[in-house]
Amino acid sequence: MKSYKELPDDAGSNIIGQVTAQANRLSKRLSSVKHTIAVMSGKGGVGKSAITTNLATALTLKGYSVGIVDADINGPSIAKMMGVRNITLEYTKSGILPATSLLGTKIISMDLLLAEDDAPVMWNAQTQKDAFTWRTTMEVGALREFIGDTEWGDLDYLLLDLPPGSDRLPNVVELIPNLGGVVVVTIPSEVSHLIVKKSITMARDILKVPMIGVVENMAYYVCKHCGEPEPLFSPQNTPDHVFDEIRLGRIPFDPKLSLSNDSGTPYLSEYPDTPATKAITEIAHKIQNFFNT
Amino acid sequence: MKFLCIDCDTAMKFKDVTRPEQGSVTAVFECPECFTEIAMYLNPSETQMLKSLDLKLGGNNEAVQPMQMVRSQLETAKKDSFTNISSEVTNGETAEGGKCPFTSVISDAFDENSEPTPEPETSGLKWTPEALERLERIPSFVRPMAKMGIESFAKDNGHSEITGEVMDAARGNFPAQF
Repeated sequence: MKSYKELPDDAGSNIIGQVTAQANRLSKRLSSVKHTIAVMSGKGGVGKSAITTNLATALTLKGYSVGIVDADINGPSIAKMMGVRNITLEYTKSGILPATSLLGTKIISMDLLLAEDDAPVMWNAQTQKDAFTWRTTMEVGALREFIGDTEWGDLDYLLLDLPPGSDRLPNVVELIPNLGGVVVVTIPSEVSHLIVKKSITMARDILKVPMIGVVENMAYYVCKHCGEPEPLFSPQNTPDHVFDEIRLGRIPFDPKLSLSNDSGTPYLSEYPDTPATKAITEIAHKIQNFFNT
Repeated sequence: MKFLCIDCDTAMKFKDVTRPEQGSVTAVFECPECFTEIAMYLNPSETQMLKSLDLKLGGNNEAVQPMQMVRSQLETAKKDSFTNISSEVTNGETAEGGKCPFTSVISDAFDENSEPTPEPETSGLKWTPEALERLERIPSFVRPMAKMGIESFAKDNGHSEITGEVMDAARGNFPAQF
């Protein structure tokens, strides 16, 4: 009786061929993107999406062509922050046309597809029981389509806003083997540092992804009376040295930044002279230098 | 996965697949030498995993649609999430694979919302429009088997085209009316 290896193929399904075709489509699409950047944290609530949108805007304002993939499939917020929630996506024979912000940043997000504000992402299935066995696979498939089936055109930078956790970066690296680099976002708290260090290890040491650096968000606030920086979190907190070595910058807390995100308006161009705008612009400049563009 | 006909020591070939019924897909394989057929049942979890991977049993020769998995599988999507602004429906790109002669049926198999579109020529037999229309009237859970049976009857009786008359002649072999 013939063994498995002696049988010529998989009876006609050509699963390997189908998977290869998916990878080829993705690779072909990414060939027009110069630099891909994953923005991640590990910790939730540190402002990853706010940093992603504002870095994208900063790079756009520098004259680069920039796109954002909202890789937070279950908690998409990029479309709202970029003011494109209510558009209907259009598609042509070669792909989906991304939403475009006021300043020209291109965006794709699950939020653009969901029926209602309170609609969670639910996938068609006979039963949601045991969904843990396939749901992540479905989400990675969605991410693959977001990246590979969007008509980005020629991009200088494509930013991916990852959900909390260090577990999604390996999926991204599988989809984009030559990922340009990772920006890690934290806040100045020991709890955040504890979690974020795991993400740094995952990215830099395990997956060997280039580490662009760490952004410390809500690092302090500027006193509106005296103009002096004051700590927003515990003043006794001393960041781990790992953050000192690769810190890209410290962004002060500014309520106006949150308001701009809520209203979908570009904070950087609305408030060009604030300390937060200067910090974000400087970080964008360092990212630009990282890629030597 | 591969299947071996033990008697012939020959790899079996994919023949057909049903649409999911109660979340479960059935694939039929045939020995190219003795024509013995077997049915493989995927339970709902296995079927769902294949859907999640956007893979098609029997291969996929159909043109790839932009974001086809998300567009077909997102249950909480808003109506008319996408607008086609192209005069062409497909992007002309074709997935790899697809050695199976029943590609169109197979590719549709996971799309429970799509209209069934039997491929008249994939079996080597042509279906007239009238015959196709009657085929559509057969309950979905027996349609693939009925289609195979009708084609088998037609081949056995020397017909190169399946017409209403051929279906009338084959009708006695099936429980469903068409």
